[in-house]
Amino acid sequence: MKRITFIVGHYGSGKSEVAVNLAIQKKVDYLLDLDIVNPYFRTRELTQMLKEKNIEMISTTPLNGQYGDLPYLSKDVFLPLIKKDCQAIYDLGGNDAGAIILRQFSEHIDESVDVLLVVNVFREQTQSIDAIIKQIRSIESACGIPITGLINNSHLLKETVKADLVHGDALVKEVSKQLHLPIVYTAIHANLYDPSFEVSGEALVLKLYLRKSWL
Amino acid sequence: MAKVLMKGNEAIALAAIKGGCDAFFGYPITPQNEIPEYLSKYMNEHGKVFVQAESEVAAINMVYGAAGAGARVMTSSSSPGIALKQEGITYIAGAKLPCVIVSVMRGGPGLGSIQPSQSDYNQATRGGGNGDYHVICFAPETIQETIDTMKEAFDIADYYRNPVMVLVDGLIGQMMESVDFDRPIKQRFLPPKDWAASGTKNHPGRNVINSLYLEPKDLEEHTLGLHKKYQSVIQNETRYEMINMEDPDYVIVAYGTMSRVARSAIEMLEKKKLKVGIIRPISLWPFPKQAFKEIGPNCKGILVSEMSLGQMLQDVQIANKGRLPIAFYGRVGGYVPEPEELYDAILNFKKWEVLD
Repeated sequence: MKRITFIVGHYGSGKSEVAVNLAIQKKVDYLLDLDIVNPYFRTRELTQMLKEKNIEMISTTPLNGQYGDLPYLSKDVFLPLIKKDCQAIYDLGGNDAGAIILRQFSEHIDESVDVLLVVNVFREQTQSIDAIIKQIRSIESACGIPITGLINNSHLLKETVKADLVHGDALVKEVSKQLHLPIVYTAIHANLYDPSFEVSGEALVLKLYLRKSWL
Repeated sequence: MAKVLMKGNEAIALAAIKGGCDAFFGYPITPQNEIPEYLSKYMNEHGKVFVQAESEVAAINMVYGAAGAGARVMTSSSSPGIALKQEGITYIAGAKLPCVIVSVMRGGPGLGSIQPSQSDYNQATRGGGNGDYHVICFAPETIQETIDTMKEAFDIADYYRNPVMVLVDGLIGQMMESVDFDRPIKQRFLPPKDWAASGTKNHPGRNVINSLYLEPKDLEEHTLGLHKKYQSVIQNETRYEMINMEDPDYVIVAYGTMSRVARSAIEMLEKKKLKVGIIRPISLWPFPKQAFKEIGPNCKGILVSEMSLGQMLQDVQIANKGRLPIAFYGRVGGYVPEPEELYDAILNFKKWEVLD
């Protein structure tokens, strides 16, 4: 895993759950919540839990609190980019609207940075190869930085069956082939994960941290 | 269309399209912004109307105008935004016009917060507009039910020529579920809108859209007409779900998100050998009073739970007619009670009992 990973993607593709799981499993130093689009289910809600795992959460200023509705980011978000001896994951907001704030980091983009796009082929707006590619292009043009890899997070929550994973894998593989982008991770919920199942890239076994257990 | 994963607000927007929405007028407010965002892309591309108005007041009056012209029209907003629309809503009800209003509840009073709440029950069922009118109000508990309700809402509005509100809390608006958009809805006979002010091509004379009746005789006749219509809504559109209601020890009354919490809570109570049922009102107006007559003889009490400090509680008190003890458990500020909290509230029923 590279020193800096930016996670982008469609609304509700699962960026935040993927980012939190990656941060915990890869034991990174910082998780940054740069979601200025979505009002609920943001990684900053997990600040305390992550602190206990030695992951520092950087989001908005304390003055704004955790539940602000302001498109404002603390200057602290530059810290992991400047401080070279740490590893960090940046969780961005959805679509081009969420990815646009990546532009301010353009001078820090180098070999040590990955920009990974999370895709769920069961989201209504990203069900076809063309729709996914269109989404990738729109995010890239908003953030001004090329996407370097894909994270396949195709699922239907509790209703996911193995055939859905196969369908997701086939579609994302085709996107990967057409755009010459590697599938870096395939995310699978822990309840569905089977080590014998062959996935593209590294398997990322997910535990859902932001979703209420009764939902 | 196979199952897809949708965010509640997006699903509301797509369901409106599937329900035959011709025009949307609204003004942004969190946590419902994905509705206008989704529709802004779709409506113009498909020759339908999308207008981001200059205010909520303007938006609801655009709804009034478009509904008067016979369009299937909707608006969406959240708590303080719905407050601003109240004048327009009573005009629309007074002029006997159909429209769909989506309300995604956030914290209050005033600006409150952007976190979920159910503290606009009174706003939805009593309204802030003047006069003897009602808004037909449905409160679904899942995104699937929200979709089915939205699709049907336009038909119900047209059938009764009355505003229909779909009321959810911010959590339903923001959460994700896998859903199906092609479930069938009840077919209704919808007569042509020969009352619409859409030109004189199809009928002789002039149609007038108005809620002003200066003569006492006329206004009384008009209001009695509305009243008669509302009696038929009560008779035909009252909806509720009874869950685990065969001779329960206690009953929880909850709607929307809270009924989902209650479903988990009653499973926990089952392990304690307590049989707890749920009355889940789906229509909030008309409120399903008859459900309470069906509560068995061994029930020791009713627990009302809301993400407010007790608004539906009053309707439960009316429906209960003093028969059973009533307790209330609610959280505000954006907190959603956990199943454990309802479990504790049932086990400590006396502590939460409402004494009036």
